[in-house]
Amino acid sequence: MTKAKKYWKGLAELNNDPIIDKLKQNEFVEEIPVDKFLGDSDISSTSTSRRDFLKFLGFSTAAATLAACETPVNKAIPYVIKPEEVTPGVANFYATTMYDGHDYASVLVKTREGRPIKIEPNKTGTNARVQASVLSLYDSARLKNPMKSGVKSDWNNVDADITAELEKISADGGNIAFLTSTILSPTTKQLIADFSSKYKNVRHVQMDAVSSHGTLEANKTSFGVRALPMFRFDKAAVIVSFGADFIGNWGHPNNEKDYALGRNPNDGKMSKHYQVESTLSLTGSNADERIQIKPSEQAGLLSNLLNALNGGTADSRIAKMAADLSKNAGNSIVVCGSNDTKIQILVNAINDKLGNYENTITLSAPSYLNQGNDTDVAQLITDMNAGNIAALITYNINPSYSLQNAAGYNSGLEKVSLTISTSLYNDESASKMMYACPDNHYLESWGDAMPTHGEYTFMQPTISPLFNGRQFQESIMKWMGESDYHTYLQNYYSFADWNQSVHDGYFTSNDGKVNPASFAATIPSFDLSKSEAIEFEMTEKISMGDGSQSNNPWLQELPDPLSRACWDNYLTMSASTAGDLGITNWNISNGALNGSMVNITVNETTLNNVPVMIQPGQANGTVALAVGYGRTAAGKCGNDIGYNAFSLGNGDATIEVIGGEYEFAAVQLHHTMMGRDIVKETTLADFIVDPTSGNHKTLYATHDGPKTGDKVSLWDEFDHSTGHFWNMSIDLTLCTGCAACVISCHAENNVPVVGKEEIRKSRDMHWLRIDRYFSSDMTKELSAEEKISTIDMYAEMEDPSGNPETVYQPVMCQHCNHAPCETVCPVAATSHGAEGQNHMAYNRCVGTRYCANNCPYKVRRFNWFQYSDNDKFDFNMNDDYGKMVLNPDVVVRSRGVIEKCSMCIQQIQSIKLDAKKAGRTVRDEDAQTACSSACSTNAIVFGDVNDDSHQIQGLKKDSRSYQLLDHLNVDPSVFYQTKIRNKA
Amino acid sequence: MLYLVEHFLFRIAINYIIQLFYIYFFNLKNINLQPKIEDIFNMIRIYNIKNYFLLLVVSFTFSFQSLAEVDGAQIFKQNCTACHVLGETKLIGPGLKGITEKRDKEWLKKWINNSSELIASGDADAIAIFEEYNKVVMTNFYFSDEEFEALFGYLENPPVEEAPVAIKNTVVAEEEGLSASTQMMLIALVLLTLIYILTSVKNSLKESLGQDTESVTATVQSNFTLFFSNTINKLFVGLFFAIVILKFVYDAMMGVGVTTNYQPEQPIAFSHKIHAGDNGIDCNYCHVSARKSKHSSIPSANVCMNCHASIVEGSIAGATELQKIYDAVGYDPDKRQYIEGYEQKPIEWVRIHNLPDLAYFNHSQHVNVGKIECQECHGAIEEMDVVKQENDLTMGWCIECHRETEVKMEGNDYYTSLHEKMKEQYSGEKITVDKIGGLECGKCHY
Repeated sequence: MTKAKKYWKGLAELNNDPIIDKLKQNEFVEEIPVDKFLGDSDISSTSTSRRDFLKFLGFSTAAATLAACETPVNKAIPYVIKPEEVTPGVANFYATTMYDGHDYASVLVKTREGRPIKIEPNKTGTNARVQASVLSLYDSARLKNPMKSGVKSDWNNVDADITAELEKISADGGNIAFLTSTILSPTTKQLIADFSSKYKNVRHVQMDAVSSHGTLEANKTSFGVRALPMFRFDKAAVIVSFGADFIGNWGHPNNEKDYALGRNPNDGKMSKHYQVESTLSLTGSNADERIQIKPSEQAGLLSNLLNALNGGTADSRIAKMAADLSKNAGNSIVVCGSNDTKIQILVNAINDKLGNYENTITLSAPSYLNQGNDTDVAQLITDMNAGNIAALITYNINPSYSLQNAAGYNSGLEKVSLTISTSLYNDESASKMMYACPDNHYLESWGDAMPTHGEYTFMQPTISPLFNGRQFQESIMKWMGESDYHTYLQNYYSFADWNQSVHDGYFTSNDGKVNPASFAATIPSFDLSKSEAIEFEMTEKISMGDGSQSNNPWLQELPDPLSRACWDNYLTMSASTAGDLGITNWNISNGALNGSMVNITVNETTLNNVPVMIQPGQANGTVALAVGYGRTAAGKCGNDIGYNAFSLGNGDATIEVIGGEYEFAAVQLHHTMMGRDIVKETTLADFIVDPTSGNHKTLYATHDGPKTGDKVSLWDEFDHSTGHFWNMSIDLTLCTGCAACVISCHAENNVPVVGKEEIRKSRDMHWLRIDRYFSSDMTKELSAEEKISTIDMYAEMEDPSGNPETVYQPVMCQHCNHAPCETVCPVAATSHGAEGQNHMAYNRCVGTRYCANNCPYKVRRFNWFQYSDNDKFDFNMNDDYGKMVLNPDVVVRSRGVIEKCSMCIQQIQSIKLDAKKAGRTVRDEDAQTACSSACSTNAIVFGDVNDDSHQIQGLKKDSRSYQLLDHLNVDPSVFYQTKIRNKA
Repeated sequence: MLYLVEHFLFRIAINYIIQLFYIYFFNLKNINLQPKIEDIFNMIRIYNIKNYFLLLVVSFTFSFQSLAEVDGAQIFKQNCTACHVLGETKLIGPGLKGITEKRDKEWLKKWINNSSELIASGDADAIAIFEEYNKVVMTNFYFSDEEFEALFGYLENPPVEEAPVAIKNTVVAEEEGLSASTQMMLIALVLLTLIYILTSVKNSLKESLGQDTESVTATVQSNFTLFFSNTINKLFVGLFFAIVILKFVYDAMMGVGVTTNYQPEQPIAFSHKIHAGDNGIDCNYCHVSARKSKHSSIPSANVCMNCHASIVEGSIAGATELQKIYDAVGYDPDKRQYIEGYEQKPIEWVRIHNLPDLAYFNHSQHVNVGKIECQECHGAIEEMDVVKQENDLTMGWCIECHRETEVKMEGNDYYTSLHEKMKEQYSGEKITVDKIGGLECGKCHY
């Protein structure tokens, strides 16, 4: 006998709940909201039958097909009167000067049919921000018209109102203030002087978002010269930097180039670089020896160093450095990034003691790149709040954002009766001011600059103003009742050959030098009491700088060289400190990086929900946050990204760990090489003994004994004996990781921006990435010595050291001559060129992504979406202005195809054609790719190996040269030069 | 016997129809009709039915071009067009319409050979003309009598200039004589008629012999039935049609975006025939960037104005088309001056040669380095009143040329120093563009 047992699924069923009955009847408890996703509330009542639907479908498909067959009628519209210098299809280059209040560079601008599309270095090197500035020109968030009280106006009205008010203020004896960035332009200074003689009571205050006030004041005290010295990093044998990021963001743009000049191991002469810092900077990551300190220890160590140089005992951490310095007195450099006058006087004393002045450091032809005066700014804010300022004109700055005391400034602003902003944007500051009189972008302006004493560089417009803006100089002339800045500028430079100077972009005057007094300052003493608190330091990212270009999507998506994260700023912290605070970073299932969040309070200002990135190299007990983020009125791309570090200022921090997790967008998720020799490196000492040290070719065991890859290859060789054979050499010793090449590549090759979400899914589109590896405390040798198990060894190898050695390795398509990608493409969309490149025909690609899977270097990028003209990717390629930056010689790739580095084949084809037309061979200096031309340190060299006159030929044969992952025997056309560190 | 003939003729007809399809769908234009006609003759010989073929008469017409006319026109174009037009308009000298009637030929010869001599001799007409045309001395030519005859012949019967036919934005098929398919169609028609005649003859024979007759349709039908009773035939025909349809679809797809013979109406009825042909203006004079840039570039209106500031009347449309240029640049042809403060309006030409964005093409590479004549790609542009796309501009067309064209290495140091080895490598062989990488994907697609 079996009794039918009744099982119930839950208490509800047991209790005969009516919902159970309903559930039995219907598959879903509630009606499926069909209308919601079909978007038509009446859909159930329409009479469209299935048959009709099929008819519509069929008809529309047929119609679409037929419509696609019709060839559109294209128009060709020539100029009515063609400008003489324009040949459609041929680029023109103009020399000009980039200055935006933060970055300065003397550049060449490539224009096509009157549109600037690319920045190249001229008299100075270019960093990533300078390279990207061409996109900021086409920023549709720029102010398009003058505004009065937030309402669109026109120049006539605005000028009339402003002039009337200025005259009234002048008549009443009111104070007028100019608050500007550092003014490099002598004519602008002259104009401001003219302005003050007309309106009287005019004060000119200069401020730098990232201030050098301390150094300037120290030099004034020590030598009577309020300017920055020029450093000759190429001449110094020993370079000591206390927290100065001179390769990245600090000082003159040619520092990086000079630094590299002094570090060429092939000459056997290589400077020794010590970096003493708390936050790992680009410069610190390139140092031979890096010493981690807390910011508060800086003064003590510098005092100790001076004491040691005077014969005292050196701190154990800097004993070697002190010894090296005294050995190289007069041939060394000590720099410090501090903004503390006392500390800078100490640094001056050290350099003076070493006799470096006028050897490696010169103040007789100083740099004027930073002239900001924090005391003046503070006084101005006080006066504004006291109601003593009647008119304020700002230029090239965004004080409401970049001042630590922005609140004080903003409240003072309300007490000024006439406020005029000349910002390019309706930014945080401009929106609080009465008049916005938008300046022109530097690519639309005339101008000049005196970056160093006696050296003038010129700015010339490369495009007609895109919007109804007017350059600042023209505006103040207008308000003085004058006009024509161009003529004013030309007249000012009557001492130079104007046409030649504008053509060259610079003019060097031989007249006069500054005469600095000999060092005369009392050595300051410091309160050296130790603080146990966590110390906070503001830093600057290579991508964002002071945030003035924060609406630039190229820069937002540029991964930080050290953290490899983009679209963010974050508090960096050492693993040990994070461990103490219970803060972690972790990877989610698709590999994306997440991190804990904290509230941080510094100088009584609190930032909430700040994510923490665990950064190897950050000194224990210190945290850092990059400036340039946390903008609220930058434009759709830069708004509400990250946190404003300017508002905190340096100081002791209180950190409160809160819940929640933050999503980072990082493009590199591992930090170490795990014992592989991806980057081959050796020390200078070993290299001098054995030039092949650290660079041993992989040998394959054969029945004939060990052989190199080319002897046991299964591949048919391409015949590269005739014609060109384009190769690229990347010197890992010279590469500083500055990422200018990445942006240059973006601009040249129309690389799309994909946004944070896509980056998190590892769908970044960078054709050129700069891999960064940290050293680990665990090595294979160590594990063998200490008998550590293999599993433990590898587990520990994944963790970078607390104070790691860093290497950078730019990786683009390696253009293998035995390319694994080519063999797996089912449609032969990627194929080998006889000149050494691996070609990619986008229109042939069907998007199987086999090639990307088979690529050992992972350099192939897939277009998951249509990145142009797509509202989901609302960056420059979805903007009529932003699209003007596209290079017309390179196609914009569509959805579903693979793309990758082409070795700038458009440029190769172009230089070949130029040579053919001129009836000569291709010159070495012409053979450039976007990355090689942007490289300040000459780490990337491109050329034809088959041409004896090309530098690359020697580099290929160099003892340091090696191919990445050479054991795969894919024989790339790109090769690297071993990294050499100057240490024993 | 008649039955055999009929059967064979039927098969020949089918054969032709099949060939017709081939030609139509596969564009096998070079299929030779001759052997097939020979086959027919062979059959006729075998079956001795020559008489029936007397019905077929083929006539050919030849058009001969007058040599004299070519000469006269050439002389005129080479020597006279710089100062004269063949109409009534004055250029530097008078228009030459009806000049042979107006003046005595001997007088003309004297004038043309040496006008200053004629003027010096005190000829009243000569002096009058000299005065009228601002005392500009005409160049002395010294033509031979034959040349004069040819020239006068040409001047007496000037060619009738047809106004260019403006064609809307449509693709016009090239129609010159009977196309191969039409010819085939005609032959098939003749053969079908033949079948009809034969069957009728057979029927009348049968009738006279008292046998049962069958209608034409019945004969054709019975032949079809016979043909299709064979599975292999069925399969063949089925396969044939499948291939034809596939080929048709394939060709239709491949034809998408190919716009050979595209000849749109332009906003200004500019004639290349007049400028490049009749007046022999070098292409580079207007398409100035063809030697420097990837674009040959359509000339800006200021280039037109170089000549048309003084030549205010065209030979076909008079002043109407030129007025459009003046409207663009702001020029007053009556006052012969530019209008102050005129808002210039660009001329919106219809682009004829459209390469897709994915293909990179550089004019200077081909014109300057490759020394290719414009006509090699653009056709006889100097004969076109309205420009049309001569070639299909497909990749196959590019590749074809790259395979055949020799690289112009001589006298270019780029090649001599770099490709010395190459000449050894391909000793004796032509070094064509494909040998220096002209077929590699990345050279045009990036």
